Amino acid sequence: MFALTPDEWVALELSLRVGLCCVLVSLPPGVLLAWLLARRQFRGKLLLDGLCHLPLVLPPVVTGYLLLVVFGRRGAVGGFIQDNLGFTLAFNWKGAVLASAVVGFPLLLRAVRLAIEGVDPRLEQVARTLGAGRLRVFFTITLRLALPGVLVGALLSFARSLGEFGATITFAANIAGQTRTLPSAIFTYLNQPGGEEGAARLSLVAISLSLAALVASEWLARRLKRG
Amino acid sequence: MLSLSLSCALPGFTLAVEARCPYPVTAIFGPSGAGKTTLLNIVAGLRRPDLGEIHLGGEVLFSSVKKVDLPPEKRRIGYVFQDELLFPHLTAEDNLRYGYALLPPAQRRFAFEHIAELLELGPLLARRPGQLSGGERQRVALGRALLASPRLLLMDEPLSSLDQGLKSRIIPYLRHIRSELGIPILYVSHSVAEILELTGQVVFLDRGEMVAQGDFFHLAHHPRVLPLVEEHGFENVLPVEVLGNEAERGFTLVRHGAHQFKVPLCDRPAGSRIFIGIRADDIILCRTRPEGLSVRNYIEGRVAEISRVGGKCLVYVEVGKRLAVKLTAEAIAELGLEVGQTVSCLIKTHSIRIGPEVE
Repeated sequence: MFALTPDEWVALELSLRVGLCCVLVSLPPGVLLAWLLARRQFRGKLLLDGLCHLPLVLPPVVTGYLLLVVFGRRGAVGGFIQDNLGFTLAFNWKGAVLASAVVGFPLLLRAVRLAIEGVDPRLEQVARTLGAGRLRVFFTITLRLALPGVLVGALLSFARSLGEFGATITFAANIAGQTRTLPSAIFTYLNQPGGEEGAARLSLVAISLSLAALVASEWLARRLKRG
Repeated sequence: MLSLSLSCALPGFTLAVEARCPYPVTAIFGPSGAGKTTLLNIVAGLRRPDLGEIHLGGEVLFSSVKKVDLPPEKRRIGYVFQDELLFPHLTAEDNLRYGYALLPPAQRRFAFEHIAELLELGPLLARRPGQLSGGERQRVALGRALLASPRLLLMDEPLSSLDQGLKSRIIPYLRHIRSELGIPILYVSHSVAEILELTGQVVFLDRGEMVAQGDFFHLAHHPRVLPLVEEHGFENVLPVEVLGNEAERGFTLVRHGAHQFKVPLCDRPAGSRIFIGIRADDIILCRTRPEGLSVRNYIEGRVAEISRVGGKCLVYVEVGKRLAVKLTAEAIAELGLEVGQTVSCLIKTHSIRIGPEVE
């Protein structure tokens, strides 16, 4: 009952790969935006903040639909990518990465932003009077002190990616071996007669993975609080 | 030499300063909210003034006309804050080396070991900021700023978070920096006593306005300066010469002009010159010399001035320098005090504070 079938192994491996890539893809823009929102005042800040958090409250299927409109083959950005970079996003595993990155982005952003806001800006000022330029200050002081929060954000984004279903199935579909992640595989099982055992098995896997990621992030967050 | 000429709009008032600071230590004195910290931030390059120029040793750091605004990391100005702001993720040694490591070796003015020795940092190096006491953290912060080889050191109430005992232990280090390292210091404080431990040269700020600049003793009775100084309990500071220590009788005898004072026993050698501090609130005036009092000091002088600012009355008694004495209006009326009269100032020995040596 507990042994995974080869197809299920593929789904698990795909889920982990998508989750990992999702974190790697979201981290740079996430950290940059978090820093902008935490440290800078500019016009449209509230709007940007709202936009970044939108995927948290939108029905995932809407997020997936919007991704199709923008990043689909005929979408403004998707077409550009296909013409100039020679690959497509919709209906393959890269699309699953994009979908879960967008949906998990608010969680990452929020954790990193809180962590950066928790860094005393005067520490950055001291570093500058000691001769460090902006970039060096960012990496040796701001980001270094916010690191636990960045890790928490990365874990949350990873965990959210493991659970992503709606946006992924809309934008990347449910293609066995390509975009069939754990949730899609469970969904597929449930639509098959006699698929309950497989669904239960994969659900256990999903629960264990997500729980592990959440516990790890909570443990990190507590260590962060203790300093 | 630092010279400033700038203005900067702040909420509620405008900071406007014209100053030249050719002295080893220039103090900036004023009540909280006077713009002292803003001034330091502007000099450090952490805040941009609206207009003006800042020069340091012939180099333009900021000029609104020439459109120059050097970023803080290019100014080589050390900054020590009130709360030490050590980097919490680094050990004391790594904190000390942060700016030092960024400097090309040829531009380092001090050896690491020299500063570590001067500030007695050796035993602290391996510790993290959380494992240091307040005074230790402040010494590390000082060392960190010095090791970046600054051309000017800014200090923003560096002692105000420390208790009195720690203060008196840090001040000698500051004096070492002043006399041995030759780095000019801009020192912000709202404590006259603390300032006078380091320098007599003071810039007085009030609500962004530079009220006066110069020697503290000349300016202390300036009509705009006095209320500022008064706010924290005005302390008369007199330079005196030690005549001798009377260990058994429990006092040290000092002389200011023709007047002798019995001050708390302080074991300074005869002939040395020190400052003593007497708070204006701690002096009693009398027209005729009373008897049967335990007070040790009866200092005779002439009433030079009676000033009433708001409900506060200050009587200035000429005893070589002027002693400010704080009285109620009723007391002045009852004694019939008038300018030109001779009065006695009664001062308890233990109301007199022993200050630093006169240099």
